[in-house]
Order: sequence, then structure tokens, then C-alpha cells
Amino acid sequence: MLGYLPAAWKTPHLKKDAFVDPEYWENLGKTAERGTLDAIFLADGPLLGDPAYDANPIRLEPTVNWGHVAAATSRVGLVATASSTFNDPFELAERFLSFDHQTGGRAAWNVVTTRGVPAARNFGMPDIPFRDDRYERANEFVDVVRALWASAATGRDVHFHGGFFDIDGRLRVPPSKQGHPVIFQAGGSPQGRELAGRAAEGVFAAELTKNQAIEHYRLVKGFARSNGRSPDDIKILPGLLLSLGSTEEEARRRSDEIHDAGPPSYSIGWLSQAIGFDASKLELDEPFPEEVLAPIGNAQSFLGSIGFRESIITQIRKTNPTVRSYLKQTRYTGSGHAGFVGTPEQLADHIEDWFHAGAIDGFNLQPDRLIDGLDVIVDELVPILRERGLYRHQYETETLREHFQAASPTPPF
Amino acid sequence: MMTKPYLALGLAGPHLVELTTNHQLLERWDALPVAFSVLGIDRIDGSAPAPVTLSSSAVGATLASATKRGRFLIAASPQRDHPYNIARRVASLAHLSGGRSGLLIGVRDAYAPEGPKDAPAWGGAGLGGGAPLNAQTAYDTARAVRALEQSWPYDSIIGDRETGILVESNRILHVDIENSFSIAGPLNAPAPETGASVIAWYAETATDRPPTSDDTPIELILGAAGSVPVVALGKEPPVGQFAGIVLRAGIEQSVSELLDAAERWLADGFVPSALGGSLRATLNLSLPAPLPSTARAAFPVPQPHVSL
Repeated sequence: MLGYLPAAWKTPHLKKDAFVDPEYWENLGKTAERGTLDAIFLADGPLLGDPAYDANPIRLEPTVNWGHVAAATSRVGLVATASSTFNDPFELAERFLSFDHQTGGRAAWNVVTTRGVPAARNFGMPDIPFRDDRYERANEFVDVVRALWASAATGRDVHFHGGFFDIDGRLRVPPSKQGHPVIFQAGGSPQGRELAGRAAEGVFAAELTKNQAIEHYRLVKGFARSNGRSPDDIKILPGLLLSLGSTEEEARRRSDEIHDAGPPSYSIGWLSQAIGFDASKLELDEPFPEEVLAPIGNAQSFLGSIGFRESIITQIRKTNPTVRSYLKQTRYTGSGHAGFVGTPEQLADHIEDWFHAGAIDGFNLQPDRLIDGLDVIVDELVPILRERGLYRHQYETETLREHFQAASPTPPF
Repeated sequence: MMTKPYLALGLAGPHLVELTTNHQLLERWDALPVAFSVLGIDRIDGSAPAPVTLSSSAVGATLASATKRGRFLIAASPQRDHPYNIARRVASLAHLSGGRSGLLIGVRDAYAPEGPKDAPAWGGAGLGGGAPLNAQTAYDTARAVRALEQSWPYDSIIGDRETGILVESNRILHVDIENSFSIAGPLNAPAPETGASVIAWYAETATDRPPTSDDTPIELILGAAGSVPVVALGKEPPVGQFAGIVLRAGIEQSVSELLDAAERWLADGFVPSALGGSLRATLNLSLPAPLPSTARAAFPVPQPHVSL
């Protein structure tokens, strides 16, 4: 992960193998900690996409990667993604509790169900299970993991016999400083939101508009409440793709430069994956045909993210752009995740606006290029948020769960 | 002339907790000229589970960052784990530790509950598939880990800013494994710069020795039936010619007692190992042969691209 834009690797600030360089990762952790950020996050999947032009498909295993960063830092939270489809819940529970123990209670597990045939073929399966099956499994998987984490504290065996898993045993890993890892859920499918309401303490959402974000914020917090939890127990953090500059023009120039340095096929491929339609077959100078925008026939076999697709289709219907202009426009608005191009001051305004509107508890900021983009967040955005009384001046808590609990309560809804 | 053996350390579950939560112990451990330490040897050597333990890879991640010289083997077994997932952690540790890490593959995991009777290895993941819990499955796991770690040659990372090509990805290969596991590959991280990780096996008796094949991934056999016997702390080293000895602490003994004993042994009869450097170089093991040239390329030849 060098930044969300594929050409992030081209900067002379980076060695050609920065993505596997321990110093690169340690530096990211230390920088995030200098900005008193709550956490840093790594996406993951057990498969390799073509890394010919882009470092994003290259993935060190997140618990190892963040475990390494933990030893070089002391307060920043460390969110590691892992698949509920391609793991055994006992091994994952043991490894994540160990990771949490080793980080001094700063660990989180971001539960994903994993899409993509190449992942299935690394595990002896011809194809990925259907969405409903993946989520049914994810639900049970999370239950087993939580029961095993509890067993580490009680010392009593778990006897779990479900539709997917049979476990008789317990963990012998010592409970961590925060007891056990925080659970995140990512994705906007109905099943994902239900799982979040039931079990997650953090949600990585994909939101393009403020109104939609408010609606989803209330929906997921409502799910938490109907599960007997406090809405404050779950933090909603939409992704925000960033290009920042000291002026708006400079930010746009930076975004253009990094976009233009990447392969043109990339944005077409990205859109295709997101909407479940081969966008290279579309006429670039025509609007999107209705067949692309119509509801998907079979949600079960749809390989993309339903949450991302929903956001994108809503956006396209609003302005009815040509394919070319949409692809260009998404340079500034992102694709699926919202995008932001501007100054740190403008970004602070945006964060403040969405926060006061009751749309978010925070953002999962995703810089175009981390090596210099994270510095701007830490050294320019964070001081503005602090001045406005919106952000901590120093860490006042130690564990990730405590960082979250120290955040503002959910506004009434 | 007798060559002196090297010394290695065997840590059980409680020692992993003790070592990683004590800064002074970490410093002592890092300064000790031993060949390697096994992180959680009790997980795979037939011991009963200790009251506490940690995942080997989590401890490895800490050591990779908090220390600069010490080398280690993580212990893993396919009982509740899959070769693809093990390979990812092994390769990641090798990158982050500068090649100071390796893998000790075990048949069973003392800390894991039993899986389903018809597929006790990996079958507990509930994905269909799975395999018997035996030496062949562990051996197949080691073969898969080795192949996956080699599936992406490190020197294919070229970072050519002119052509826009970061990786010559046509040189990345599918592994197309069909043994106890079916794995297409490739791995989603490149091979470590220091070469594929060393893979060790544990054999107390001749019947525990690994299966054999032309492409054996096992480069080191620990235990009485191997070249590196394991000796309990408090006992004397065995008589005979060995490449090395693993000095193993019992769960009632402390890391500091183990380090004290190691210092005494190093002063008398053992050859000190280099401080720092890769495990492969320290054990003087040559690089394994690359994947066969018949392996399928995972991606097309990248084409230079120009800006929009």
C-alpha cells in the first residue's frame, strides 16, 4: 500500500521495493502517531492481482505487517483486514488475540468475506461462494472468534456446533490490554450492515453524498440499538480518497499528475469491477446505457461490492454524464468511496460539516500517495482540526477501544 | 578434527510471552550469538499445551521490529491453517526481518482443537477439502509454502519510471499445486530478497522423519532423528557429531535461565553464530532451485504505457 492511486510508486521518494521495506512501514506508523491518529488500516485478500503498474495488489500479511509496526510505535491503533471465508476461525482468533496482546491492545480485525475467483483457486475451490453463503458463514465465524476470545479470559472451553464450524476447545493466549481486538466491518450490503450492527465496533463505509451517509449512519446505529447495544459502541468511518495541496489548484495538479502517470486502462478496469460491467465495451462519448444502470439481475453472483455499485449508480443517474466525462470526473470525486481534492483547510471544513450533520464519527482517509500525503494530514490537517476543538492534542488513552470510546457521542436520531 | 556445533534455542508458549514483554530480555536475546530460536517449539513437538502461548507469527513480527540480529523459526501446522495463509506470514516475516526468519512445519498443533474426523487438517475451516493429519499433509504444506514463496521472483521488481512498469509480472508464476491441497497461486508478495525461507522439520525418532521427494523443501531436521538434536535445559549435550543443538527450556524454566545456560554453553564447546544476517546464510544453506520453467505465467508481458 503506497497510496490509492496506482502510480504512487513512481515518486523518487520511494525505493522500488518500498512495499516490502520494513523502514517504509515503520515510518508510516510513526508519522500516523505523530498526528495522534486513532488508527491505520490495511485492506487485504488472499490473492494477487497484476502488479505490473501498481503496488496495490501486493500485500504483506496484515497481522505480521502491523505487528512489526506496533513494535516501532506505542499508541496508534492497527486495523488488519482478514477474510472470514478463507481462514479457520480458531487459527484467526488465536492469531488476532496474539497480535492484540503484542500491540498492547491496539489491534482490530476488519472482517471481510472476500470476492474474486483467484482467491477461491488458492484454496482448492473452483469459485467463490455466493454472497448469502459468505455472509452466513461470516456471521457464524465472528461468533466463534468472539467466543474463543472470551475463553481466553475465562479459561473455559468453548463448545460451538454450528452450520459451518464445530469447535471444542479454548485459547491459551493471554487477554490483551483491551481484552480482545476491536471488530470492524467493511461494506454496504444489507447483510454486512446487519453483521456490523450486531458485532462491529467500527464500520468502513462507502459514501458519496452527505444525505446518503446520514441515512446509512442512522441505519447502522439503529441496528446496533436493536441488538441491545449503545449507538456509541459502533463508529462509522466512510472512506475518503484524498489529494491535498496548499491551494485548490495545486491539489488538482497533484491529482492530475498522479492519475496521468498511471495506465489509462486502470480507471476503466476499476469502474468495470465496481459496476459489474465491462466498461471497456462502452462508447466513451455516450452516456451510460440503461442496461448498465438497471438493478443487477443476480446479486448472489455479482462479484463487485453492492455498496460501491449503489453509490456509483446514484451518482451517474444524478448528472447523466458520458462515460469519458464520468471517468475524468471521478478523478475528483472518487469511485465508490468519495474523493476529495483541495486544501487541508477545505478538508477540515468538509469533515466538520459531515460530522455536525450526523453523517460520520470519523473518516478513513486514503491519500493518493502515502509517503508525502500522510505528512500533510498529520502536519497540516490535524492542527486545523485541533484548533477547532475537533481533535485530540495528544493521546489521552492507550488502547484502540479507549481511543474510540473517547470520541464524541452519537447525536440523537 | 571435530567441528563444534552451533547453538539454537527452543522457546515454549510461556517463554514467548515472557520474552516479548521484557525489554531487557529482548536485548539479551538479540545479542546472543546463537543460530536461531524456535518460537513455540511445544506447539509441534508432541508436548501437552502450556497454560499460555502466542501465535508464532505474532511473536515473529515483534522480534523482526524490536530486534536487529536474532534469527527465529516460527512454528505452524496445517491442522487449522492453510499453506497459502502460512506462506503469506512466512514471506512477510522474511521481508520485515531481513531474512532472519524461517518456518518449522509440524504435523499437529498442540494448542488447536481437533478438526473433523474425515479431514482433520484444514477441514475445520468448513470449506470442503482438508486432509489427513499426518506427515504427508505437513510435508505437502511445506512444499506449497516453498513454491508459493518462489512464485514471484524478487528481481522482477524493476520500478521503471520511464515505461511505467513496476513489476515484470509475466515472470510471476502459478504454482498449480495438486497434492493434499489444491493451490493455483501465485503468492501476493514477492520472494524475500534473501531467498525463500528456510523450512525445518521436527523428528524425534526415525519414523517421524519427513517423506522424501526430489523437490524436498525440508532443509533442516530438528530432534534426535535429525542433525540438530533438542536438549532439555538442565541436561548435558549429547555425545556425537551434530551440526547444532537446540537448547530447550521447560515451561517451569524462565527465559533468563535459558539465556544464562546458553551463554555458558557458548563459552564452552559451541561455535558462536554470526550476529545478524539471514538464517539461510547463517546455516550455510544454498538457495533452493527455482520453480520449473514449465510453470504457467500468471500475467501477460507488461507493455510500456504513455500518459493520457
